[in-house]
Amino acid sequence: MSKQEPEDATAGRSDVELQHEVEQFYYREAELLDDRDLEAWLDLLTEDVEYAMPTRLIREKAAERSPFSETSFNYHEDRSTLESRVDRFGSEFAWSDDPPARTRHYVTNVRVGDPDGEELPVKSNLLLFWAQRENDDTLVSCERHDRLRRVDGDLKVARREVRLDHNVVPMKNISVFL
Amino acid sequence: MATEEDASPPETCDGPGAGPEYEMSDRARRIVEEQGRSLREEGMLPSKVFNDDGIFEAELRQIFGRHWVFVGHESEIPEPGDYAQRRIGRDPFIFVRGEDGEVRVLFDSCSHHGSKLCRAEQGNTSHFRCPYHGWTFKNTGDLAGVPLKHQAFKGLDPEEWGLHEAPRVTNYKGMVFACLREDAPDFEEYLGDFAWYLDIQLEIGKGGMEVVGEPKRWIADSDWKSGADNFAADSYHTGVTHRSALDVGFGAEEISGTAGQETHRHVTHVDAGSTSLRLLHPDDEIYYGYPNEFVDTSSLSEDQRRMAAACGAETGTIFPNLSFIHVAATDDPDDDLAGYLAFRQWQPLEAGKMQAWSWILAPADASDEYKQRAHDVGMATFAGPSGNFEQDDMAVWDGVSEAAGSVYAERHEFKLNYQMGRPGMSEAEIDEDWYGPGLGWDDNLEEGTLRTFHGNWNKAMSGEEVGMSYPEDHI
Repeated sequence: MSKQEPEDATAGRSDVELQHEVEQFYYREAELLDDRDLEAWLDLLTEDVEYAMPTRLIREKAAERSPFSETSFNYHEDRSTLESRVDRFGSEFAWSDDPPARTRHYVTNVRVGDPDGEELPVKSNLLLFWAQRENDDTLVSCERHDRLRRVDGDLKVARREVRLDHNVVPMKNISVFL
Repeated sequence: MATEEDASPPETCDGPGAGPEYEMSDRARRIVEEQGRSLREEGMLPSKVFNDDGIFEAELRQIFGRHWVFVGHESEIPEPGDYAQRRIGRDPFIFVRGEDGEVRVLFDSCSHHGSKLCRAEQGNTSHFRCPYHGWTFKNTGDLAGVPLKHQAFKGLDPEEWGLHEAPRVTNYKGMVFACLREDAPDFEEYLGDFAWYLDIQLEIGKGGMEVVGEPKRWIADSDWKSGADNFAADSYHTGVTHRSALDVGFGAEEISGTAGQETHRHVTHVDAGSTSLRLLHPDDEIYYGYPNEFVDTSSLSEDQRRMAAACGAETGTIFPNLSFIHVAATDDPDDDLAGYLAFRQWQPLEAGKMQAWSWILAPADASDEYKQRAHDVGMATFAGPSGNFEQDDMAVWDGVSEAAGSVYAERHEFKLNYQMGRPGMSEAEIDEDWYGPGLGWDDNLEEGTLRTFHGNWNKAMSGEEVGMSYPEDHI
C-alpha cells in the first residue's frame, strides 16, 4: 500500500460548498449502508481507517470523566477487521444478516470543524431504524465524531468514533455499521 | 394448655431475614413437575419453561432469590470507594469497595423511604446521598447523616438504619458472588467439584485474571436460560450457528468446537455446572491461546495443568446464570489467535427476555498491549453483541422464546428434544479414564451438559439444593 500524498481536506471550497459536499458524502454513505452495499461502503474509508464504538457508561456529573470507555468497545476496528466482518455477512450462514436487516440511517446536525492538517473533523448525529424480524424493530441514537480526509480528490472517513446514547445496547446484536 | 387447633401457624421463615416462604402457583408447579419427569424419563424439555410469566415469577424467587449469583470481579472496583450497579435477578444492588477496603454488596434502596441511591452505573464515592430526603450513607453502608436529625429523628439509632446488605457474599478468587438466602450452603459447597474447572480459568493467567474494560450490556428477546443452556454447553450448534464466522477464519475449526471431533470432550454432572472442552494434543501446550510468558500453572494440580495445556477452548455454565468462554480466537483472520476469558451473565428481565452482560478478562501480568488485544478479540468473536460468533447466537435464540410463549406450545405440551447422548442416540460414551471431576464423555455429540443445567433448574425450582452428581442424578 503506497502512502497517499496529503491533500487539502477543504479542496479550496467555501464553507457552504464544503458543508454541502460533506452532507452529500454522508447521504451517499447512508444509502450504501441501507442498501447493504458494504463493499462499496468500504471504499469510503481510508486504507488506515480506525473505526470505534466505545462502551457508554452512566457516570455522575461530579466524576468529570468521559462517559465513553477507553478500553471497552463494541467496535474497535481497522480496515482488515472491517473487511473480515463484511466477508462474514456475505456468507449464506450469517444468520444475523438473513433475512437482511431493514435499516434506515438518518444523518443530521452535520458540523464541519476547522481543518486540522489534512483532516477535517466533522460531528454528526445519527438515528438508526433497525429491524430484522417482525417485532424486533428498534431505534439507535448516536453521535459520530469523524476525521475526514481527501484521497484522489474524494472525501473518505479516516477515523470514526460512534458515540452511542445508550449504555445498554437496545439490540440483540450489532450487525450494522453506524 | 394449647390445643393443636390454636397452635401457631407452621414456621414459614427459612432463615433470619429470609421472609415468608414463596408459594408457587399450582400451574407453575405442574410445569416444574412435568419438566422434571420429561427430562428424566424422555430426555425432553417442555418448551413452555422458556417463556411463561408464572415460571418467570417463580424463578425470580426460587432461583435468583435463593442461589449464589455472580455480582462482579474485584478488579472492577480496585480502589476504596469504587462502586458499580449490579443486579441479583432483577433486584438492584451496589457492588462497592468501602473505605475499609472491604467489598460489599449493598441493597440499593434508602433505608428511609426507599429511593435508589446509586444513580450512576459506576464511579467512586465516599458517601451515597439519597436524593429524596438526604439521608447519607458511607460507602460501607453505615448511616452517616440524617438531615435535621435533632428535630426530626431524635430517637433514631443510626446503627440500626444502615443500608441492607446481601445476606451472603463471597469473594472466590476475585469473583464476587452473593446469595439472598441466609441459610444457603457455603459457596464452595454449592460450586462443588466444578471448582476444579473454574479454578483453571481463574488461575491460568500470570498474576491471576483481571477484567479489561467495563462490561458490555445488551438486550434480547431470549430467555435467560437459552444462554445458560447454550454455554453449558451445546457443541452441536457450533458448526451450524457459527458456520459463517468459522468460514471467514475468526476461529480455528478444531478449537472452536464443532461437534464430532475426536479431541473434544463434554463433562456433565459437576455439581453446579457442566463444561465443554476442546482438548488438543497435550504436547502443544496451548493454554487457551495465551503466550507462554503470561501463563502460570504453579497453583494447579498436575491433572489441571494437563487439561489446561491441551485446552484450546472451553465453555461452561455455573448455575444459575453465569457462563464463561475461554478460547483462542482472532479479530482478524490474517492475525494470530489470541486467548481471552469472558464471563457472561444472563440477566432475567421478564419471561422470554434477558439482558446479557459480558466481561472480558486477561492475565493480570500481561502487557497492556496484550490485554487490549484480548479485549478486541473477545469483542470481535464471542464476548459482545458485535462479535462475529455472538451475533448469530442471539439471532436464533429469540425464536425459541417466541414459540415457547405460544398457546400451541401450552395446549399441546410441545416438548423439545434434549435426547442426544441418551442410550441409543449418539455414540458418545462415558470416558472411564477422564481425570477431572464429573462425568467425562469421549465426544461432544451429547447433551448431558444441557440436561445438567436443566436438572439443576428443576432442583432449584422444587426447593431442593442444587448439585448434580453421577449416577444418582443421571439424566
